Amino acid sequence: MSLKKILSDRQTWAGLGLIVGLSIILGLASHPRLVKRFIAGEFKQTFILKENYPQLVFISLPEAEDAWSRRQAVFLDSRSREDFNRGHIPGAVSVPFEELKMGDEGLLALIPDSPEIVIYCEGGDCQASLSLARILDSRGFRNLRVFLGGWAEWTQSGLPVETNAAE
Amino acid sequence: MLQNKYILLVFRLIVGGVFIWAGVSKIVDPLSFAQDVRSYQLVGQTLSFLTALFLPWVELIAGVWLIAGIYPRASAMLISCLLAFFIILVAITIARGLNVECGCFGTFSRRADIWLIVEDSIWLILSLILLFSPGNDFGLLKKQSNNP
Repeated sequence: MSLKKILSDRQTWAGLGLIVGLSIILGLASHPRLVKRFIAGEFKQTFILKENYPQLVFISLPEAEDAWSRRQAVFLDSRSREDFNRGHIPGAVSVPFEELKMGDEGLLALIPDSPEIVIYCEGGDCQASLSLARILDSRGFRNLRVFLGGWAEWTQSGLPVETNAAE
Repeated sequence: MLQNKYILLVFRLIVGGVFIWAGVSKIVDPLSFAQDVRSYQLVGQTLSFLTALFLPWVELIAGVWLIAGIYPRASAMLISCLLAFFIILVAITIARGLNVECGCFGTFSRRADIWLIVEDSIWLILSLILLFSPGNDFGLLKKQSNNP
C-alpha cells in the first residue's frame, strides 16, 4: 500500500484524531489532582512532589550560595566523576550516585562531618541529588539539603567553580 | 512488502507490546516522566508536563489498537512517526553531549545513547512494514480487503 493511498484514506485520519482525542481526555481524567496543581502554578521549577520527601529540605540558589560562602555546609556532587572533574562547586566532594548505586559503599566514608549537607546534581530535573539524599537519609545522615537548581543554576549565575585537571 | 499474515501478526504483537509497556509504565508516574522530558532540554516546564500527561496515553492506545486491529494503519502510522521523532530526538541529544535518562519505560529507563537509536530503528522498521503491508488489513472495524 502506498503512502499516498494511506494518507488519502479517511480511516487513517479518523484513527489519528481518535487516538489523540482519547489521549487528551484520558490524560486529563487519569490525573485530575496533578492537573489542578499544575494549573494552580505548581511544577513551575521542578516536577518533584516535595511532600513525598518530608525528611529533606529543598534549597534555592541564594540559600546554597549563602551556605557555601559561610562554609557551614559540605557540598556533595552527585554527578558522575567525569562531570565532577570537568567542573564543580569549589570544595564539593564527589559522591557519584551511579557509583554508589553500583555498590561502592566506600564513597559514604568520604563524606566529612558537617552540620549541614548540601547535595546537588546537574540541575534542570536531574534525579541524582534526590536519590543520593534519600540513600543518605536511610543511612542516618541528617540535615540534608537538596539544591535542585544544581550545577546549571550555579554556573549560570557566574559563581566560582573549581576543576580537576587530572582525570 | 510482507504478505505473510502470521509474521505480520508477530510484528504487531512486538511493536504493539512495546508501546503498551512504554505507555503504561509512564502513565503510573507522570511527574517523573515529565522530568525525563524536561531533561532533554528542548521544551520548558509546561510542555514537559503536557507531554507527560498525554503522550503515554497516545502510546498505549496506539499499541492496543495496533494489536487489536482498530484503525491499525492509523496506529502504525502514529507509532512510526513517534519512533522517527524519538530517533531524531536521541540523535540531537547525543550530538549536544547531554547525558540523560531516555525516559522510555518509566522507572525501567536507561541512557539515551546510540543503542537506543538502534533499538528504536528496529521498532521503526517493523512498524513501517506493518504500515505499508497490504497483508496487514486485519481490522475489527474494517472488512478484510481481498485485493490489496
